[in-house]
Amino acid sequence: MRSAWMRREVGVADPVLQVRDLSIAWRGADGRANRVVDGVSFDLAAGGTLGIAGESGSGKSTLARALLGHCRAGSAITGGSIRLDGDDLAALSEPGLARRRGRVMAMVPQNPLASLTFHLRVGRQLEEVLRWRAGLSADAARLRAIELFGQMGLPDPERLARRYPHQLSGGQRQRVVLACAIACDPLLLVLDEPTTALDKTTEAQVLDLIRRLRTARQGAMVIVTHDLNVVADICDRVLVMQHGRIVEQGPVGQVFATPREAYTRVLLGAALRVENASRARPAAPGLPLLEVTGLGFRYARPSLLRRAPPGPPILDDIGLTLARGEVLGVIGESGSGKTTLGGIVTGLLAADRGRLAFDGTELTARRTREQRRRIQMVFQDPLSSLNPRRRVGDAVMRPLRLFHGLDQRDAARRAARLFEELGLEPALLARFPRQLSGGQQQRVAIARAFAAEPDLLICDEITSALDASVQAQVLDHLAAMQRRQGTAMLLITHDLSVVWRMARRVAVMQGGRILETGETEAIFRKPANPYTAALLGAATRAARAGQPELVDATG
Amino acid sequence: MIVLVLRRGALSLVTLFLLATFVFFATEVLPGDALDVSLSADEMAMMPPEVLARRRAELGLDRPVLERYLGFLGGLLNGDLGRTIITRAPVADIVAMPLRNSIALAGVTLLLALPVALAIAMAAAQAKGRALDNAVSGAAIIGYSIPEFVTGLLLIAVFAVWWPVFPATITASTDDPLGVLLAAAPLAIATTIIGSIAYLGRILRVGLIEVMAADFVERLHLSGIPRWRILWLHALPAAMIPGLSAAALYAASLVSGVVVVELVFAYPGIGAELVRAVTRREVHVVQAIALAAAVCVVLFNLLADLGIAALDPRTRRA
Repeated sequence: MRSAWMRREVGVADPVLQVRDLSIAWRGADGRANRVVDGVSFDLAAGGTLGIAGESGSGKSTLARALLGHCRAGSAITGGSIRLDGDDLAALSEPGLARRRGRVMAMVPQNPLASLTFHLRVGRQLEEVLRWRAGLSADAARLRAIELFGQMGLPDPERLARRYPHQLSGGQRQRVVLACAIACDPLLLVLDEPTTALDKTTEAQVLDLIRRLRTARQGAMVIVTHDLNVVADICDRVLVMQHGRIVEQGPVGQVFATPREAYTRVLLGAALRVENASRARPAAPGLPLLEVTGLGFRYARPSLLRRAPPGPPILDDIGLTLARGEVLGVIGESGSGKTTLGGIVTGLLAADRGRLAFDGTELTARRTREQRRRIQMVFQDPLSSLNPRRRVGDAVMRPLRLFHGLDQRDAARRAARLFEELGLEPALLARFPRQLSGGQQQRVAIARAFAAEPDLLICDEITSALDASVQAQVLDHLAAMQRRQGTAMLLITHDLSVVWRMARRVAVMQGGRILETGETEAIFRKPANPYTAALLGAATRAARAGQPELVDATG
Repeated sequence: MIVLVLRRGALSLVTLFLLATFVFFATEVLPGDALDVSLSADEMAMMPPEVLARRRAELGLDRPVLERYLGFLGGLLNGDLGRTIITRAPVADIVAMPLRNSIALAGVTLLLALPVALAIAMAAAQAKGRALDNAVSGAAIIGYSIPEFVTGLLLIAVFAVWWPVFPATITASTDDPLGVLLAAAPLAIATTIIGSIAYLGRILRVGLIEVMAADFVERLHLSGIPRWRILWLHALPAAMIPGLSAAALYAASLVSGVVVVELVFAYPGIGAELVRAVTRREVHVVQAIALAAAVCVVLFNLLADLGIAALDPRTRRA
């Protein structure tokens, strides 16, 4: 391995990683091969950072795993070569690959919680890599693990090493997984969606860490992501993939400033929304539709005794009003209580303090059918909110028949019209949820909500499971629907660009409290609260990268 | 962890108390008392009323329900389960040895079946979808669905009749030392082991296959950690968790529920004793065996819960 480092220093011109004409195919149940990576070629120089961008299904994660010589069961490399450090990974045997994995090339997988063994302490998991892959003794591994955790910016590394994965925060888990990957100082580090599971503030911190690692290590890095903000932030080259092929590649500044391909422009458009968007949604005057005052919520501690002391407050003294037809954005990190707030307004949870007034009458957790019709909800994960065994048409027709008493024929006709309004082929009504794409599934969930003709719609992170380009599409349809029906909306999200695009007013939440409420424009331009400023700072990096002179050269 | 053990222990005691109460009222408060139930209609008609009354008094059946209930609970705490109606022998003495024999049978079965089931499950999970896995899964389903009396009779036919290497029925008696008893019962043990391997092997195989597809296994694989280490240190404990509760219930049923095997081979266990007690209408013995079975279920569940807590730190919130 040392010799590899020496050789790299001889000439920077020759690349560390050289991928030529690489193809990977899945063999389906019918025996037909389905190419997910198709004729991909690129080079990566020593010390370089390459971003691989594309929607889910573009083959970027499959490509990432192939860079470690790994294909999941059912798929295989069908052609081409992956030259890393003089070897062709596509031609190496499994033992040969195993010898190099972790040392020559290492991977930071997508989901840090699921990627750590849940029943082992995180320190032990890092020590395992150090002992088995870096060849350290037990004592040396223990010391080195603490040291590495410290370098990852983890607080109190000695105590943290004794904790289990589920006891860490999302950002801490990501740092642990990172530490495991760089434990043997690999030549090539592949990061698969390193920030997708994180909220904006944590994402900025983890990206800072990755940037520091890049300068300190000088090894080559590949970052796979659907978020062009991330690419803009830390990569020097970008490779855009669609349907397994490379659509465009080049230096980040150049590709972002003058994208040649339409697909790249779509991806970029989705990422740059924060900087230029225009909304015009004046709220209707008169009595507020929803009025929340002094709302508080705690989870009861499970106990044998009924009157146990309640847990810490999840929501504390929440107050907000929503006019008819108005869209209010609710933003905050995960854990700020915004989802709980949505649950209480919907009636899924019961508040234990405060008042909830809807259209002049008190709302409790027990609702009349009419109240249930007038307040609808769209959830984050459309797939788990649709019955997998019922056709999506049934899902949309159910509220039509239940709330409006339509018969089968009228319901089917109305469902088809709702589908058309949301840009879905009526033929899709006969499909099962699994047979639709993520964006289609979410539009079905929206159609179901609007079928009830609600006055208030609660949207809880409805775009966070979707790709950037699909997000825009779903939001456009949602906005058009909302305007047509004049529905008021509570838009819960951690994505500021969604709020900027959709909501005239915004409430910023942290730790179960509302920090500030006001016009989106005013708050985004001039945040009064330092937390809001931090949230905003984390979100506006992508646009800067389009202007080369503003790219952060120090890293 | 200590808090959790104490909590679960206390909860188990509460469950046992409720169980004892239930068993008592289920057998005592239903129409007719223990004496009515244990005597046939002819015997009842033959007995003069004063004899009946005297025997009631001897058995304490003339006392009020609450008093008898408290007496029953007090007796339980002292290990006194009452006396039989016909022979007047202490119930505890009658139940003790068969219970020991049944626990021994279950223990030996699990001890021998678990490693085999584990090995088979690991081999099958490694070769998922291939010939070995299909063969093992098929065999497991067959082994699991054949009733024990069929397996038992087949074993007798093969190993005791056609090729007489083992005795067909057990010649050892109830009070023999365990070594003698178990040595005399190879076919009975084989029968329970076959069922256990099939049952436990299936559960473990499914758990392992699921875990081997988990993200953390892929991460370890991509770090170059050797496969045996991934399997033993990471995957196996994770795969055991869902199997533990099922295995615990299975172990409890082995203690209390191998009536068929015990009868086929004349194994002097608690199941055979239960059948005898029922035919002789010995209410207190039935009560005691029901209680013992319930204690087994509660105990094994407790053990499984503690095992899960030891394996899965996420469940360790006391």
